[in-house]
Amino acid sequence: MSNFFGECREAVRKGDREAAEALARRALAENTDPLDTIESGYVPGLREAGRLWDEGELFLPELVMAAEAMKAAAAILQPALSASGRQQKTHGRVVIGTIEGDIHDIGKTLVATILSANGYETHDLGADVPVQRFVDEAESVGADFICISALLTTTMAGQKRVIDLLKQRSVRDKYRVLVGGAPCNEKWAAQIGADGYAGDAISAVKLAASLVA
Amino acid sequence: MLTTFLKRLGEGPLLFDGGMGSLLLAAGLEPGRVPEHWNVERPQLIKQIHLDYLAAGAEVITTNTFGGSPLKLAAHGVREQCEKFNFAAISQAMAARLESGRPDTFVAGDIGPCGRFFPPVGDLERQSLIDSVQAQVEMFAAAEVDLILIETMVDLQEAETAVRTVRSLTDIPVAATMTFDRKPRGYFTIMGNAPGDAAQRLADAGADVIGANCTLAAAEMVELAQTLVAVSPVPVLVQPNAGQPELVDGDIIYRVSPAAFAEEVRNILATGVAAVGGCCGTTPEHIRAVAELM
Repeated sequence: MSNFFGECREAVRKGDREAAEALARRALAENTDPLDTIESGYVPGLREAGRLWDEGELFLPELVMAAEAMKAAAAILQPALSASGRQQKTHGRVVIGTIEGDIHDIGKTLVATILSANGYETHDLGADVPVQRFVDEAESVGADFICISALLTTTMAGQKRVIDLLKQRSVRDKYRVLVGGAPCNEKWAAQIGADGYAGDAISAVKLAASLVA
Repeated sequence: MLTTFLKRLGEGPLLFDGGMGSLLLAAGLEPGRVPEHWNVERPQLIKQIHLDYLAAGAEVITTNTFGGSPLKLAAHGVREQCEKFNFAAISQAMAARLESGRPDTFVAGDIGPCGRFFPPVGDLERQSLIDSVQAQVEMFAAAEVDLILIETMVDLQEAETAVRTVRSLTDIPVAATMTFDRKPRGYFTIMGNAPGDAAQRLADAGADVIGANCTLAAAEMVELAQTLVAVSPVPVLVQPNAGQPELVDGDIIYRVSPAAFAEEVRNILATGVAAVGGCCGTTPEHIRAVAELM
Protein backbone atom coordinates (compact mmCIF):
# COMPACT_ATOMS: atom_id res chain seq x y z
CA MET A 1 0.00 0.00 0.00
CA SER A 2 2.79 2.40 0.85
CA ASN A 3 4.01 1.97 -2.68
CA PHE A 4 0.61 2.98 -4.05
CA PHE A 5 0.55 6.06 -1.82
CA GLY A 6 4.09 6.78 -2.98
CA GLU A 7 2.85 6.85 -6.57
CA CYS A 8 0.05 9.23 -5.57
CA ARG A 9 2.55 11.46 -3.81
CA GLU A 10 4.86 11.48 -6.80
CA ALA A 11 2.05 12.23 -9.27
CA VAL A 12 1.04 15.34 -7.34
CA ARG A 13 4.59 16.49 -6.67
CA LYS A 14 5.31 16.30 -10.39
CA GLY A 15 2.05 18.08 -11.20
CA ASP A 16 1.00 15.11 -13.35
CA ARG A 17 -2.77 15.49 -13.35
CA GLU A 18 -3.49 12.52 -15.58
CA ALA A 19 -1.44 10.19 -13.42
CA ALA A 20 -3.04 11.54 -10.24
CA GLU A 21 -6.51 10.99 -11.71
CA ALA A 22 -5.66 7.48 -12.92
CA LEU A 23 -4.42 6.59 -9.44
CA ALA A 24 -7.65 7.93 -7.90
CA ARG A 25 -9.69 5.70 -10.22
CA ARG A 26 -7.46 2.77 -9.31
CA ALA A 27 -8.04 3.50 -5.61
CA LEU A 28 -11.80 3.31 -6.24
CA ALA A 29 -11.53 0.12 -8.29
CA GLU A 30 -9.37 -1.58 -5.67
CA ASN A 31 -11.43 -0.32 -2.73
CA THR A 32 -8.52 1.57 -1.25
CA ASP A 33 -9.76 3.89 1.45
CA PRO A 34 -10.33 7.29 -0.21
CA LEU A 35 -9.38 9.25 2.89
CA ASP A 36 -6.11 7.34 3.32
CA THR A 37 -5.38 7.89 -0.36
CA ILE A 38 -5.79 11.64 0.05
CA GLU A 39 -4.03 12.00 3.39
CA SER A 40 -1.18 9.55 2.85
CA GLY A 41 -0.82 10.04 -0.91
CA TYR A 42 -1.88 13.29 -2.44
CA VAL A 43 -1.50 15.68 0.50
CA PRO A 44 2.15 14.78 1.24
CA GLY A 45 2.83 15.21 -2.50
CA LEU A 46 1.50 18.75 -2.47
CA ARG A 47 3.35 19.48 0.78
CA GLU A 48 6.56 18.29 -0.88
CA ALA A 49 5.89 20.58 -3.86
CA GLY A 50 5.40 23.46 -1.43
CA ARG A 51 8.68 22.69 0.28
CA LEU A 52 10.51 22.55 -3.06
CA TRP A 53 8.93 25.84 -4.06
CA ASP A 54 10.12 27.41 -0.81
CA GLU A 55 13.63 26.17 -1.54
CA GLY A 56 13.59 27.65 -5.03
CA GLU A 57 13.55 24.24 -6.71
CA LEU A 58 10.05 24.59 -8.13
CA PHE A 59 8.37 27.64 -9.64
CA LEU A 60 4.87 29.01 -9.91
CA PRO A 61 3.64 26.91 -12.86
CA GLU A 62 4.84 23.65 -11.29
CA LEU A 63 3.28 24.56 -7.96
CA VAL A 64 -0.03 25.41 -9.60
CA MET A 65 0.06 22.14 -11.56
CA ALA A 66 0.70 20.16 -8.37
CA ALA A 67 -2.29 21.83 -6.70
CA GLU A 68 -4.46 21.15 -9.77
CA ALA A 69 -3.40 17.50 -9.89
CA MET A 70 -4.42 17.09 -6.27
CA LYS A 71 -7.71 18.90 -6.79
CA ALA A 72 -8.59 16.72 -9.79
CA ALA A 73 -7.76 13.49 -7.95
CA ALA A 74 -9.67 14.57 -4.84
CA ALA A 75 -12.73 15.33 -6.99
CA ILE A 76 -12.73 11.74 -8.26
CA LEU A 77 -12.51 10.39 -4.71
CA GLN A 78 -15.09 12.78 -3.28
CA PRO A 79 -18.26 10.68 -3.82
CA ALA A 80 -16.64 7.63 -2.21
CA LEU A 81 -15.31 9.80 0.59
CA SER A 82 -18.76 11.22 1.31
CA ALA A 83 -20.27 7.71 1.22
CA SER A 84 -17.68 6.47 3.71
CA GLY A 85 -18.88 9.03 6.21
CA ARG A 86 -15.29 9.93 7.05
CA GLN A 87 -13.94 13.39 6.59
CA GLN A 88 -10.61 14.73 5.58
CA LYS A 89 -8.70 16.06 8.56
CA THR A 90 -8.16 19.75 8.17
CA HIS A 91 -6.40 22.32 10.28
CA GLY A 92 -9.05 24.78 9.31
CA ARG A 93 -11.16 26.20 6.57
CA VAL A 94 -9.77 29.26 4.81
CA VAL A 95 -11.51 31.88 2.72
CA ILE A 96 -8.86 33.81 0.81
CA GLY A 97 -8.79 36.53 -1.82
CA THR A 98 -7.31 39.81 -3.01
CA ILE A 99 -9.38 42.77 -1.92
CA GLU A 100 -11.59 44.82 -4.26
CA GLY A 101 -9.88 47.33 -6.52
CA ASP A 102 -6.75 45.20 -6.53
CA ILE A 103 -6.05 42.84 -9.40
CA HIS A 104 -2.80 41.32 -8.06
CA ASP A 105 -3.26 37.59 -8.02
CA ILE A 106 0.09 35.80 -7.74
CA GLY A 107 0.96 36.28 -4.05
CA LYS A 108 -2.51 35.34 -2.92
CA THR A 109 -2.53 32.24 -5.16
CA LEU A 110 0.79 31.13 -3.68
CA VAL A 111 -0.49 31.55 -0.13
CA ALA A 112 -3.68 29.62 -0.97
CA THR A 113 -1.71 26.78 -2.58
CA ILE A 114 0.79 26.49 0.24
CA LEU A 115 -1.99 26.58 2.85
CA SER A 116 -3.85 23.77 1.11
CA ALA A 117 -0.60 21.83 0.84
CA ASN A 118 -0.37 22.08 4.60
CA GLY A 119 -3.78 20.69 5.35
CA TYR A 120 -6.07 23.70 5.19
CA GLU A 121 -9.26 23.60 3.17
CA THR A 122 -8.98 26.71 1.03
CA HIS A 123 -11.67 28.62 -0.80
CA ASP A 124 -9.87 30.96 -3.17
CA LEU A 125 -12.17 33.80 -4.23
CA GLY A 126 -9.66 35.23 -6.71
CA ALA A 127 -8.70 38.90 -7.07
CA ASP A 128 -10.77 42.10 -6.91
CA VAL A 129 -13.11 40.53 -4.33
CA PRO A 130 -15.80 42.81 -2.84
CA VAL A 131 -15.65 43.32 0.93
CA GLN A 132 -19.05 41.78 1.44
CA ARG A 133 -18.14 38.64 -0.47
CA PHE A 134 -15.35 37.77 2.00
CA VAL A 135 -17.89 37.84 4.81
CA ASP A 136 -20.65 36.06 2.90
CA GLU A 137 -18.33 33.24 1.78
CA ALA A 138 -16.81 32.86 5.23
CA GLU A 139 -20.30 32.54 6.69
CA SER A 140 -21.50 30.14 4.03
CA VAL A 141 -18.55 27.70 4.18
CA GLY A 142 -18.09 27.99 7.93
CA ALA A 143 -14.56 29.32 7.62
CA ASP A 144 -12.03 29.45 10.43
CA PHE A 145 -9.76 31.92 8.66
CA ILE A 146 -10.29 34.89 6.38
CA CYS A 147 -7.10 35.81 4.51
CA ILE A 148 -7.09 39.15 2.72
CA SER A 149 -4.37 40.22 0.32
CA ALA A 150 -3.77 43.85 -0.68
CA LEU A 151 -0.86 45.02 -2.82
CA LEU A 152 -1.63 48.71 -2.85
CA THR A 153 -1.65 51.35 -0.16
CA THR A 154 -5.13 52.41 -1.24
CA THR A 155 -6.67 48.98 -1.41
CA MET A 156 -5.29 47.93 1.97
CA ALA A 157 -8.04 50.05 3.52
CA GLY A 158 -10.40 47.37 2.18
CA GLN A 159 -8.84 44.89 4.63
CA LYS A 160 -10.09 47.09 7.43
CA ARG A 161 -13.54 47.29 5.84
CA VAL A 162 -13.82 43.48 5.89
CA ILE A 163 -13.07 43.49 9.61
CA ASP A 164 -15.49 46.36 10.20
CA LEU A 165 -18.22 44.47 8.36
CA LEU A 166 -17.55 41.35 10.45
CA LYS A 167 -17.98 43.46 13.58
CA GLN A 168 -21.08 45.11 12.23
CA ARG A 169 -22.63 41.69 11.66
CA SER A 170 -21.46 40.59 15.12
CA VAL A 171 -19.47 37.67 13.70
CA ARG A 172 -15.92 39.02 14.16
CA ASP A 173 -15.08 36.47 16.89
CA LYS A 174 -15.95 33.51 14.67
CA TYR A 175 -12.93 34.11 12.42
CA ARG A 176 -9.23 34.66 12.55
CA VAL A 177 -8.43 37.36 10.03
CA LEU A 178 -4.98 37.37 8.42
CA VAL A 179 -3.66 40.09 6.14
CA GLY A 180 -0.80 40.12 3.65
CA GLY A 181 0.65 41.95 0.66
CA ALA A 182 3.55 44.29 -0.02
CA PRO A 183 2.38 47.43 1.85
CA CYS A 184 1.10 45.58 4.94
CA ASN A 185 2.99 44.82 8.13
CA GLU A 186 2.35 43.73 11.74
CA LYS A 187 1.64 47.29 12.79
CA TRP A 188 -1.06 47.64 10.15
CA ALA A 189 -2.60 44.30 11.16
CA ALA A 190 -2.77 45.45 14.79
CA GLN A 191 -4.11 48.85 13.80
CA ILE A 192 -7.08 47.45 11.88
CA GLY A 193 -7.78 44.69 14.40
CA ALA A 194 -6.62 41.73 12.30
CA ASP A 195 -5.30 38.61 14.03
CA GLY A 196 -2.01 38.61 12.18
CA TYR A 197 0.15 39.52 9.22
CA ALA A 198 2.24 37.22 7.04
CA GLY A 199 4.86 38.45 4.57
CA ASP A 200 4.98 35.30 2.45
CA ALA A 201 3.29 31.93 1.96
CA ILE A 202 5.48 30.00 4.39
CA SER A 203 4.99 32.54 7.17
CA ALA A 204 1.25 32.42 6.48
CA VAL A 205 1.27 28.68 7.26
CA LYS A 206 3.27 29.26 10.46
CA LEU A 207 0.97 32.09 11.48
CA ALA A 208 -2.18 30.04 10.84
CA ALA A 209 -0.72 27.11 12.79
CA SER A 210 0.14 29.36 15.73
CA LEU A 211 -3.44 30.61 15.80
CA VAL A 212 -5.03 27.15 15.82
CA ALA A 213 -2.61 25.74 18.39
CA MET B 1 21.13 48.68 -42.27
CA LEU B 2 21.73 49.74 -38.70
CA THR B 3 19.26 52.19 -37.25
CA THR B 4 20.64 55.22 -35.48
CA PHE B 5 19.81 53.58 -32.17
CA LEU B 6 21.68 50.35 -32.90
CA LYS B 7 24.63 52.31 -34.28
CA ARG B 8 24.82 54.34 -31.08
CA LEU B 9 24.50 51.16 -29.01
CA GLY B 10 27.57 49.77 -30.74
CA GLU B 11 29.64 52.83 -29.84
CA GLY B 12 29.80 52.34 -26.08
CA PRO B 13 27.66 52.16 -22.95
CA LEU B 14 24.32 53.86 -23.30
CA LEU B 15 22.32 55.41 -20.47
CA PHE B 16 18.56 54.83 -20.21
CA ASP B 17 16.28 56.83 -17.94
CA GLY B 18 15.05 55.71 -14.51
CA GLY B 19 11.71 55.04 -12.87
CA MET B 20 8.46 56.66 -13.97
CA GLY B 21 5.69 55.00 -11.96
CA SER B 22 7.39 55.53 -8.60
CA LEU B 23 7.84 59.25 -9.44
CA LEU B 24 4.16 59.55 -10.33
CA LEU B 25 3.17 57.92 -7.03
CA ALA B 26 5.47 60.34 -5.23
CA ALA B 27 3.74 63.19 -7.09
CA GLY B 28 0.37 62.09 -5.76
CA LEU B 29 -0.91 59.49 -8.21
CA GLU B 30 -3.42 57.44 -6.27
CA PRO B 31 -1.98 53.91 -5.94
CA GLY B 32 -4.02 51.45 -7.94
CA ARG B 33 -5.03 54.10 -10.43
CA VAL B 34 -3.77 53.46 -13.96
CA PRO B 35 -0.66 55.73 -14.29
CA GLU B 36 -1.45 56.25 -17.99
CA HIS B 37 -4.37 58.49 -16.93
CA TRP B 38 -1.81 61.16 -16.21
CA ASN B 39 -0.66 61.19 -19.84
CA VAL B 40 -3.87 63.08 -20.56
CA GLU B 41 -4.57 64.64 -17.15
CA ARG B 42 -1.06 65.81 -16.22
CA PRO B 43 0.80 65.93 -19.57
CA GLN B 44 3.10 68.72 -18.37
CA LEU B 45 4.31 66.60 -15.47
CA ILE B 46 4.99 63.61 -17.73
CA LYS B 47 6.95 65.82 -20.13
CA GLN B 48 8.85 67.41 -17.24
CA ILE B 49 9.95 63.99 -15.97
CA HIS B 50 11.29 63.16 -19.44
CA LEU B 51 13.03 66.57 -19.56
CA ASP B 52 14.56 65.95 -16.12
CA TYR B 53 15.93 62.60 -17.25
CA LEU B 54 17.35 64.12 -20.45
CA ALA B 55 18.91 66.96 -18.45
CA ALA B 56 20.39 64.36 -16.09
CA GLY B 57 22.17 62.75 -19.01
CA ALA B 58 19.87 59.93 -20.11
CA GLU B 59 20.12 59.17 -23.81
CA VAL B 60 16.96 57.05 -23.88
CA ILE B 61 13.62 58.14 -22.44
CA THR B 62 10.77 55.69 -22.02
CA THR B 63 7.11 56.46 -22.73
CA ASN B 64 4.67 56.23 -19.83
CA THR B 65 2.89 53.25 -21.38
CA PHE B 66 4.01 50.36 -19.15
CA GLY B 67 0.40 49.50 -18.32
CA GLY B 68 -1.02 50.84 -21.58
CA SER B 69 -1.75 47.54 -23.30
CA PRO B 70 -5.38 46.75 -24.09
CA LEU B 71 -5.28 43.66 -21.85
CA LYS B 72 -3.93 45.56 -18.87
CA LEU B 73 -6.27 48.52 -19.35
CA ALA B 74 -9.21 46.13 -19.73
CA ALA B 75 -8.43 44.69 -16.28
CA HIS B 76 -8.96 48.21 -14.93
CA GLY B 77 -12.06 48.77 -17.01
CA VAL B 78 -10.51 51.48 -19.21
CA ARG B 79 -9.73 49.56 -22.39
CA GLU B 80 -11.40 52.25 -24.48
CA GLN B 81 -8.74 54.77 -23.38
CA CYS B 82 -5.93 52.76 -24.98
CA GLU B 83 -5.29 54.93 -28.04
CA LYS B 84 -5.65 58.17 -26.12
CA PHE B 85 -3.29 57.11 -23.31
CA ASN B 86 -0.61 55.75 -25.62
CA PHE B 87 -0.59 58.57 -28.14
CA ALA B 88 -0.54 61.17 -25.35
CA ALA B 89 2.41 59.38 -23.76
CA ILE B 90 4.36 59.23 -27.01
CA SER B 91 3.65 62.93 -27.68
CA GLN B 92 5.03 63.96 -24.29
CA ALA B 93 8.22 61.97 -24.78
CA MET B 94 8.73 63.35 -28.29
CA ALA B 95 7.92 66.91 -27.14
CA ALA B 96 10.41 66.60 -24.29
CA ARG B 97 13.15 65.51 -26.69
CA LEU B 98 12.37 68.44 -28.97
CA GLU B 99 12.40 70.93 -26.10
CA SER B 100 15.54 69.51 -24.56
CA GLY B 101 17.56 70.45 -27.62
CA ARG B 102 19.04 66.94 -27.72
CA PRO B 103 17.75 65.50 -31.01
CA ASP B 104 20.36 62.74 -30.82
CA THR B 105 18.56 61.06 -27.93
CA PHE B 106 16.10 58.20 -28.27
CA VAL B 107 12.46 57.58 -27.41
CA ALA B 108 11.57 54.03 -26.34
CA GLY B 109 7.96 52.86 -26.57
CA ASP B 110 7.33 50.92 -23.38
CA ILE B 111 5.39 47.65 -23.09
CA GLY B 112 4.91 46.02 -19.67
CA PRO B 113 3.45 42.63 -18.76
CA CYS B 114 -0.16 42.15 -19.85
CA GLY B 115 -1.11 41.13 -16.31
CA ARG B 116 -2.57 37.80 -17.35
CA PHE B 117 -0.92 34.39 -17.42
CA PHE B 118 -0.79 31.42 -19.75
CA PRO B 119 -2.07 28.11 -18.39
CA PRO B 120 -1.60 26.51 -15.93
CA VAL B 121 -1.31 29.69 -13.87
CA GLY B 122 -3.99 31.57 -15.78
CA ASP B 123 -6.16 31.32 -18.88
CA LEU B 124 -4.40 33.75 -21.23
CA GLU B 125 -4.64 32.79 -24.89
CA ARG B 126 -1.74 33.41 -27.21
CA GLN B 127 -3.80 35.31 -29.77
CA SER B 128 -5.20 37.77 -27.25
CA LEU B 129 -1.65 38.55 -26.10
CA ILE B 130 -0.54 39.04 -29.72
CA ASP B 131 -3.49 41.38 -30.38
CA SER B 132 -2.73 43.33 -27.24
CA VAL B 133 0.96 43.80 -28.08
CA GLN B 134 0.10 44.64 -31.67
CA ALA B 135 -2.19 47.50 -30.62
CA GLN B 136 0.65 49.27 -28.77
CA VAL B 137 3.30 48.46 -31.39
CA GLU B 138 1.20 49.91 -34.20
CA MET B 139 0.98 53.20 -32.32
CA PHE B 140 4.71 53.21 -31.57
CA ALA B 141 5.49 52.46 -35.19
CA ALA B 142 3.14 55.15 -36.48
CA ALA B 143 4.88 57.66 -34.21
CA GLU B 144 8.32 56.35 -35.29
CA VAL B 145 9.79 55.70 -31.87
CA ASP B 146 13.47 54.70 -31.95
CA LEU B 147 13.07 51.56 -29.94
CA ILE B 148 10.44 49.33 -28.38
CA LEU B 149 11.18 48.26 -24.81
CA ILE B 150 9.41 45.14 -23.55
CA GLU B 151 10.16 45.10 -19.84
CA THR B 152 9.62 43.58 -16.41
CA MET B 153 8.55 40.26 -17.92
CA VAL B 154 8.17 37.30 -15.54
CA ASP B 155 7.15 34.77 -18.17
CA LEU B 156 9.58 34.02 -21.00
CA GLN B 157 6.69 32.75 -23.12
CA GLU B 158 4.99 36.16 -22.88
CA ALA B 159 8.25 38.04 -23.54
CA GLU B 160 9.04 35.85 -26.55
CA THR B 161 5.55 36.25 -27.98
CA ALA B 162 5.79 40.02 -27.53
CA VAL B 163 9.19 40.20 -29.28
CA ARG B 164 7.97 38.06 -32.18
CA THR B 165 4.88 40.23 -32.49
CA VAL B 166 7.02 43.38 -32.72
CA ARG B 167 9.29 41.69 -35.27
CA SER B 168 6.32 40.70 -37.43
CA LEU B 169 5.07 44.29 -37.59
CA THR B 170 8.05 46.62 -37.82
CA ASP B 171 11.83 46.91 -38.17
CA ILE B 172 12.12 49.19 -35.13
CA PRO B 173 14.76 47.78 -32.77
CA VAL B 174 13.34 45.86 -29.82
CA ALA B 175 14.78 45.36 -26.35
CA ALA B 176 13.31 42.81 -23.95
CA THR B 177 14.10 42.68 -20.26
CA MET B 178 12.87 40.25 -17.65
CA THR B 179 12.68 40.50 -13.90
CA PHE B 180 14.72 37.90 -12.04
CA ASP B 181 14.92 37.10 -8.37
CA ARG B 182 17.84 35.45 -6.61
CA LYS B 183 17.08 31.88 -5.56
CA PRO B 184 19.33 29.30 -3.88
CA ARG B 185 20.10 27.76 -7.30
CA GLY B 186 20.69 31.10 -9.03
CA TYR B 187 18.64 33.77 -10.76
CA PHE B 188 15.13 32.88 -11.93
CA THR B 189 11.88 34.60 -12.82
CA ILE B 190 8.87 33.64 -10.75
CA MET B 191 7.92 31.31 -13.63
CA GLY B 192 11.28 29.57 -13.36
CA ASN B 193 13.02 31.07 -16.41
CA ALA B 194 16.80 31.28 -16.04
CA PRO B 195 18.89 34.13 -17.53
CA GLY B 196 20.63 31.87 -20.06
CA ASP B 197 17.40 30.55 -21.56
CA ALA B 198 15.89 34.00 -21.55
CA ALA B 199 18.83 35.59 -23.37
CA GLN B 200 18.99 32.88 -26.02
CA ARG B 201 15.28 32.59 -26.70
CA LEU B 202 14.65 36.34 -26.76
CA ALA B 203 17.55 36.84 -29.15
CA ASP B 204 16.23 33.99 -31.32
CA ALA B 205 12.82 35.67 -31.32
CA GLY B 206 14.48 38.76 -32.78
CA ALA B 207 15.36 40.96 -29.79
CA ASP B 208 18.19 43.38 -30.55
CA VAL B 209 18.88 43.87 -26.85
CA ILE B 210 18.03 41.63 -23.89
CA GLY B 211 18.39 42.21 -20.20
CA ALA B 212 17.08 42.45 -16.67
CA ASN B 213 15.16 45.07 -14.73
CA CYS B 214 13.21 45.64 -11.54
CA THR B 215 12.89 43.45 -8.40
CA LEU B 216 16.60 43.54 -7.51
CA ALA B 217 18.75 46.40 -6.30
CA ALA B 218 21.89 47.28 -8.26
CA ALA B 219 24.22 45.44 -5.85
CA GLU B 220 22.25 42.21 -6.37
CA MET B 221 22.35 42.60 -10.14
CA VAL B 222 26.12 42.60 -10.67
CA GLU B 223 26.37 38.82 -10.82
CA LEU B 224 23.22 38.63 -12.94
CA ALA B 225 24.74 41.13 -15.39
CA GLN B 226 27.88 38.97 -15.59
CA THR B 227 25.77 35.91 -16.38
CA LEU B 228 23.75 37.71 -19.04
CA VAL B 229 26.82 39.20 -20.73
CA ALA B 230 28.49 35.78 -20.77
CA VAL B 231 25.58 33.99 -22.44
CA SER B 232 23.75 36.60 -24.48
CA PRO B 233 24.19 36.65 -28.26
CA VAL B 234 23.04 40.31 -28.28
CA PRO B 235 23.85 43.44 -26.20
CA VAL B 236 22.63 43.51 -22.60
CA LEU B 237 20.59 46.20 -20.80
CA VAL B 238 20.32 46.27 -16.99
CA GLN B 239 17.91 48.52 -15.05
CA PRO B 240 17.95 47.92 -11.28
CA ASN B 241 15.70 49.34 -8.56
CA ALA B 242 16.91 51.81 -5.95
CA GLY B 243 16.59 49.06 -3.34
CA GLN B 244 13.35 47.56 -2.11
CA PRO B 245 10.23 49.65 -1.51
CA GLU B 246 9.43 50.30 2.14
CA LEU B 247 6.29 51.77 3.62
CA VAL B 248 7.12 54.55 6.06
CA ASP B 249 4.26 56.56 7.55
CA GLY B 250 2.08 55.83 4.56
CA ASP B 251 4.73 56.77 1.99
CA ILE B 252 6.58 54.32 -0.19
CA ILE B 253 10.29 55.01 -0.06
CA TYR B 254 13.40 53.55 -1.68
CA ARG B 255 16.54 53.87 0.40
CA VAL B 256 19.41 53.56 -2.09
CA SER B 257 20.86 57.03 -2.63
CA PRO B 258 21.94 58.31 -6.06
CA ALA B 259 25.62 58.04 -5.08
CA ALA B 260 25.26 54.48 -3.75
CA PHE B 261 23.24 53.50 -6.83
CA ALA B 262 25.93 54.89 -9.14
CA GLU B 263 28.66 52.99 -7.25
CA GLU B 264 26.86 49.70 -7.87
CA VAL B 265 26.06 50.57 -11.48
CA ARG B 266 29.79 51.12 -11.97
CA ASN B 267 30.26 47.42 -11.12
CA ILE B 268 27.47 46.48 -13.51
CA LEU B 269 29.09 48.49 -16.30
CA ALA B 270 32.37 46.68 -15.63
CA THR B 271 30.70 43.38 -16.59
CA GLY B 272 30.42 44.61 -20.16
CA VAL B 273 26.74 45.44 -20.43
CA ALA B 274 25.82 47.67 -23.36
CA ALA B 275 23.32 49.84 -21.52
CA VAL B 276 22.17 50.70 -18.01
CA GLY B 277 19.32 52.67 -16.52
CA GLY B 278 17.07 52.58 -13.50
CA CYS B 279 13.76 51.07 -12.51
CA CYS B 280 11.49 51.58 -9.48
CA GLY B 281 12.64 54.21 -7.01
CA THR B 282 15.30 55.66 -9.28
CA THR B 283 15.03 59.37 -10.07
CA PRO B 284 16.73 61.86 -12.39
CA GLU B 285 19.29 62.32 -9.57
CA HIS B 286 20.16 58.61 -9.69
CA ILE B 287 20.59 58.83 -13.47
CA ARG B 288 22.69 62.02 -13.13
CA ALA B 289 25.00 60.22 -10.68
CA VAL B 290 25.43 57.39 -13.19
CA ALA B 291 25.95 59.83 -16.08
CA GLU B 292 28.74 61.51 -14.17
CA LEU B 293 30.71 58.30 -13.78
CA MET B 294 30.13 57.26 -17.40
